[in-house]
Amino acid sequence: MMSPGQEGQESQGVLAELPSGTWAALAGATGRDKQLPRGLDAAFDYVVGLAKRLVPRQRILLKRAAAVAAMDKDFRDLSDSKLREQAQDMRAIFRRGRDKPQDMLRAFALVREVCSRTVGLRPFVVQVAGGLGLADGCCVEMATGEGKTLTATLPATVFGWRGRSCHIVTVNDYLSQRDAEMMSVVYRFCGLSCGFVTGLMPHHQRRAAYLADITYTTNKEVCADYLRDQLALGRLRNVPTTILNRMVEGSTGGAGRLLLRGLEMAIVDEADSILIDEAVTPLIISGSMPNTEQVEAFQQAVQVAKQLTLGEHFRVNQRYREVDFTPAGQQKIEELAKPLGGIWAGARRREELVNQALVARELYHKEKQYVIQEDKIVIVDEFTGRLMPDRTWRDGLHQAVEAKEEITVNPPKDTFARISFQRFFRLYRKLAGMTGTAFEARQELWQIYHMPVVVIPTNRPCVRQGLLDRVFATDASKWQAVVEEIQAMHKLGRPVLVGTRSVRASEHLSELLTQRGLPHQVLNAVRHKEEAQIVAQAGQPAAITVATNMAGRGTDIKLGKGVAEIGGLHVIATERHEAGRIDRQLFGRCARQGDPGSAQAFVSIGDELPGRYAPVIAGHFRRRYGHKDAEITRRSTRWLFDMTQNRATRFALRQRKSVLQTDNWLDEFLGFAGKD
Amino acid sequence: MPVDRPTFSESWYRVVELRPRVRNSVQIHRQHYRDQTWYVIQDPANNQFYRLNAAGYHFVGMLDGRRTVGEVWQACNQTLGDEAPTQGEAIQLLGQLYVSNLIQADLPPDTEGMFNRYRKRKTREVQGYLMNLLFIRIPILDPDAFLNRWIRAVSWVFSPIGAILWVAMLGVGIYFLAGRWGDLWAEGQAREILSPDNLLFLYFSSWLIKLFHEFGHAFACKRFGVKTGSGGEVHTMGIMFLVFTPLPYVDATSAWAFGSKWRRAMVGMAGMLVEMFFAAIAAIAWTQTPSGTPLHGLCFNIMFIAGVSTIIFNGNPLLRYDGYYILSDLLEIPNLWQRSREYLYYLVKKYAWGVRRPRSPSQLATEKIWLSVFAVASTIYRFIIYVAILLFVASALPVVGMVLAIAAGIAGLVVPVVKFLHYLLLNSELFRVRTRAMLTTAATLVALVLTVGVFSFPEHIKADGLSRADQQPLVYSHTDGFLESYLPSFARVWTGQTLLQLSNPLLEPERENAKLEILRLKSQHDQQIGQNHTAEADQTEDLLKAAQAHLDYVNEQIDRLEVTSSCNGIWYTPKLDYQQGAFLKAGGDPIGIVVDLDNLLVEAFVTQDEAARIFSQAGSGIGEWVDLALPGRPDITFRGQIIDKVPAGQRQLPSAALSTAGGGQIPLSKEGKGETAAPVFTVVIKPDLSALENGKGVSPLNGQPVLRSKQRVAVRFNLPARPLAVRWYRAILQLLQKF
Repeated sequence: MMSPGQEGQESQGVLAELPSGTWAALAGATGRDKQLPRGLDAAFDYVVGLAKRLVPRQRILLKRAAAVAAMDKDFRDLSDSKLREQAQDMRAIFRRGRDKPQDMLRAFALVREVCSRTVGLRPFVVQVAGGLGLADGCCVEMATGEGKTLTATLPATVFGWRGRSCHIVTVNDYLSQRDAEMMSVVYRFCGLSCGFVTGLMPHHQRRAAYLADITYTTNKEVCADYLRDQLALGRLRNVPTTILNRMVEGSTGGAGRLLLRGLEMAIVDEADSILIDEAVTPLIISGSMPNTEQVEAFQQAVQVAKQLTLGEHFRVNQRYREVDFTPAGQQKIEELAKPLGGIWAGARRREELVNQALVARELYHKEKQYVIQEDKIVIVDEFTGRLMPDRTWRDGLHQAVEAKEEITVNPPKDTFARISFQRFFRLYRKLAGMTGTAFEARQELWQIYHMPVVVIPTNRPCVRQGLLDRVFATDASKWQAVVEEIQAMHKLGRPVLVGTRSVRASEHLSELLTQRGLPHQVLNAVRHKEEAQIVAQAGQPAAITVATNMAGRGTDIKLGKGVAEIGGLHVIATERHEAGRIDRQLFGRCARQGDPGSAQAFVSIGDELPGRYAPVIAGHFRRRYGHKDAEITRRSTRWLFDMTQNRATRFALRQRKSVLQTDNWLDEFLGFAGKD
Repeated sequence: MPVDRPTFSESWYRVVELRPRVRNSVQIHRQHYRDQTWYVIQDPANNQFYRLNAAGYHFVGMLDGRRTVGEVWQACNQTLGDEAPTQGEAIQLLGQLYVSNLIQADLPPDTEGMFNRYRKRKTREVQGYLMNLLFIRIPILDPDAFLNRWIRAVSWVFSPIGAILWVAMLGVGIYFLAGRWGDLWAEGQAREILSPDNLLFLYFSSWLIKLFHEFGHAFACKRFGVKTGSGGEVHTMGIMFLVFTPLPYVDATSAWAFGSKWRRAMVGMAGMLVEMFFAAIAAIAWTQTPSGTPLHGLCFNIMFIAGVSTIIFNGNPLLRYDGYYILSDLLEIPNLWQRSREYLYYLVKKYAWGVRRPRSPSQLATEKIWLSVFAVASTIYRFIIYVAILLFVASALPVVGMVLAIAAGIAGLVVPVVKFLHYLLLNSELFRVRTRAMLTTAATLVALVLTVGVFSFPEHIKADGLSRADQQPLVYSHTDGFLESYLPSFARVWTGQTLLQLSNPLLEPERENAKLEILRLKSQHDQQIGQNHTAEADQTEDLLKAAQAHLDYVNEQIDRLEVTSSCNGIWYTPKLDYQQGAFLKAGGDPIGIVVDLDNLLVEAFVTQDEAARIFSQAGSGIGEWVDLALPGRPDITFRGQIIDKVPAGQRQLPSAALSTAGGGQIPLSKEGKGETAAPVFTVVIKPDLSALENGKGVSPLNGQPVLRSKQRVAVRFNLPARPLAVRWYRAILQLLQKF
């Protein structure tokens, strides 16, 4: 330590001003964003990934969990105060980093006891196994309804004891607040503080939440806060400059305003959705800049586009969602643009503008890709059907859609900072994930995040009846069959949950059901809290719930009285999704915790999946079966859906990887611009 | 991307606020390529070059450390319109300049990145050495100070005076050589330039001349550099191991900064010009020195190196030596080699794989032609040279060479294949057309494998042959007689036709006598029977038999006075033409000869290797059919059957017409004496003339036979069809045996 004296005290003062984690963050102590391996290294890494699958992780974890369970008696009979004392001792061990493998098990046993005393839930052995998996940095697959919230508490407490921040990342504000409020008693008992961050929180509250030992937050919030920190730091992001600044200017500059204290440990709930489905979605901090000229240009582009016809002037590629001009089209644009002048003089810019206008017109449809709320375009997430009010499309597409809908065109925003979730989560020193569906994504989770996947068995055996897909020649016949199926189930008194891919589809189905006089609930994924309540009711006898795929995710559907006896909840998927995982998520909503239930997908050749990923084969099937308006379920038609789903999954993985590679290239070549 | 060059980039925010500027030390040179203005940015500190087009230069030029990138970009858009770099292009440009250490930003430098790049570059260099063991360059010294000291003294060389002197010297050299081409050729033959005892001498001669060659480059570069103000600095000189043969080299890349393409080309040519100058001096010295002296030998070697090797290696644009750079400068296509390859890939991507909007390395029509021609020619040429060198190295240094050849083979063949596969399977450019790209590649590969490895192709061996008659019955006289009449030479004769008529005046009376004696003995016999003198009668009967035999003999003698042909053919007699009335003795010298035209044979002469190929196949090869043709008569082709082979080789040709000296194909040995260089093997072929004309092998035009004896015949042996791979394998084995 420094000897007492003027100088020493002064600099000690500087150091004391910031939380220690901030210094660690400044010193670059967080896990650096390593480049994806390339060439032979990549091949080796791939093989390592394959080899790691051979490790009987599940068995090892269950064995260790059994050992934890065996320690129950050590804590069961302790008084609360004794237990607290034990927790303090444990904290000291972990804080100093002197823990041995055995300590981890003891700690788990202790927290298990605390859980049962405080929230009244004693984690099952499988939950303990999941927690141990998380502590090892795995992605843990646990079926929905198995209590992931409770599971995360076990490793989070241990990481809290270590004294470094631990983030538990959920998909929405409601969940993070709910989980934090529910579990804070456990943490408090263990001598830890717990905070949560939601979207509308002011700066000082956020800072306080991040200073807590355990922070519940959403992927969006934590990522945005990271970016805000980066902006606050400016380009001088290291310890010496911060100390110099403090000495010269008397302030710690941006460092004093930092929110996060390093990216140490994250436990990501719904890991597949955050780390894979939303991986390449960039989080952008931006500011508007008024630019009337550009706004006008977008409106003019819509006018020009109106005079172009499909086929003659341009072609549309559905698979890649692109518009291509024919030479005639280019000529036509030149003619039409002549009187406009300005930005329209250059061929490149004007074709770009018109192209966007056409993409907006031909490929982006109201109610499917977006909805209009209060004179504003709100994007609908195609994967989840959820509304994304803060999201905008890039490259002027958003403006083009606004111009098309003839609402106020907001000029494009200026980007200040940007990072994709993929890159952001790679920055954590330790990353763990839990989800209901990870197995299908194990390759990607290994290659990009170096997270092995471990599947934890359910506490009670699952009795879900997975029925084979039913294939229809046309959309109309599919919907017909869906409605009939619903009616049949309704008569039996079984509750039905129907998953749709888009808002439009859910409304269409709702209309059909109304025509038949079937009472139902429609969920369009707007307000998370209400959604959860509606979904929770979906298990009542003869209930009919129509929801976009992910509505009310994270909420249990509890079966009403007598429902279990007549077969439980029946889930109908009205389309197959790009990733098999997401189908499984929907199906996973029934037959939880040993309840009965059944699930089936109704698909049609007219669906988007085959049309986009196997247009030739789909076209062949359409020609063969298209004329009859009937069910055509057979092996060959079912195969089409499996095959296209496979293709789509691979396509998406490659795309995500290439995004990461491009980012790495930029880092290497733009070293002078500072790291992202 | 729906648009070729999207204007905006998501990453723009990372550079927009920066105020970078081009480094102080950097020099910018304006150059013209194919009527387009380009700017070459040079960092003299490390001789890094970067080429910018006008729009790029406009952008970079405005980066002065005060304006932000965003401002500069806006300004570019206003002045250049569509030509202006897009945001993505500007980022790429900045990134590349940054990685080449040509710009600096208003930020503390990313030292870690710098070290990373340095490490990467070093790794690449070492990898490059390992991958290219056959062409290693080791820099040794910095000749710049030396050049600076001497440039004043030699700069006149690169001036009109120098040019005049050079032309004059070359003229004089040629003048001296003019009368001595024959001697030169003879010495070349006799000396065997690559014979072991000359090799060391040759090597030292080449060191001498290559040293001058390299200084030619260095001084030329310096001279024009000083003149244009770009410095023309030459900082690296060293040793290059060209297939393990150390030779000097110099790095004159700073010539790339010269504005004039002629000056750049001149730097490239300087080495060869110097060599030719020395070759001219050597030529004069060679003519003036007596044969056999060391100086004479040195001069010859210098001429050989400067004349032959320089043109084959240095002057050849398909190898990456002087000739290539000269060509590249004169065509005004920088990076010709690399861009030609890129252009080839571009063509494949665009047409074979259907990649949408691939980036073409060239926009100019004429340039495209040059690029495609050069790409194809240099690829084929390099492949051949590469294989030849590998084979040579592998056989010259049995163990080490094999290892090196395998290493080089991996570098030259396996690595590119692996890289290609990696590209094919994973590159994002092929995202949408991967299936097509893979199918096209697989189809090409299958076609190649089928062509080379599976489909059999007929194989032929062509040889010279000579026809000869199968039988050549010599005609003898079987009885004594005087020549009465005869057929003239070259008459067409048939079996049994009278060739000549003899007369023997003694034979006729003898016959009469014999007849009378028989009559007498007959009557005597009858008499004795009648008298019942049985025993006597028996005696007479024996006599009678003897008399009868005598008559038969005489009759035969008389018959034999008419000499007939035993076969169809052409009658030839050199003697009788002037011996009418002469006496021909029975069993004497042959009178003449009837050449059997119906049974002509063809003898083909093949090398040992060819013989082995013809007879190794399917048993002995006897009985196989071959194609025959007459040189100069393309209309006449027929077939023949192999009936025999002469097992031992011979060095004596039956006709001088078959040797190279006589217009044939078989080389003769240098010792003269008409012997062949290698033993030849004779294959005997029976031609089948029945397919010809009227079936008799006679031309309808003049009634003359088509095939005559002692005529040259082109023979084509049809070997059983085999896949090319088998053939090549055999050819390579043979090549290896030869070394």
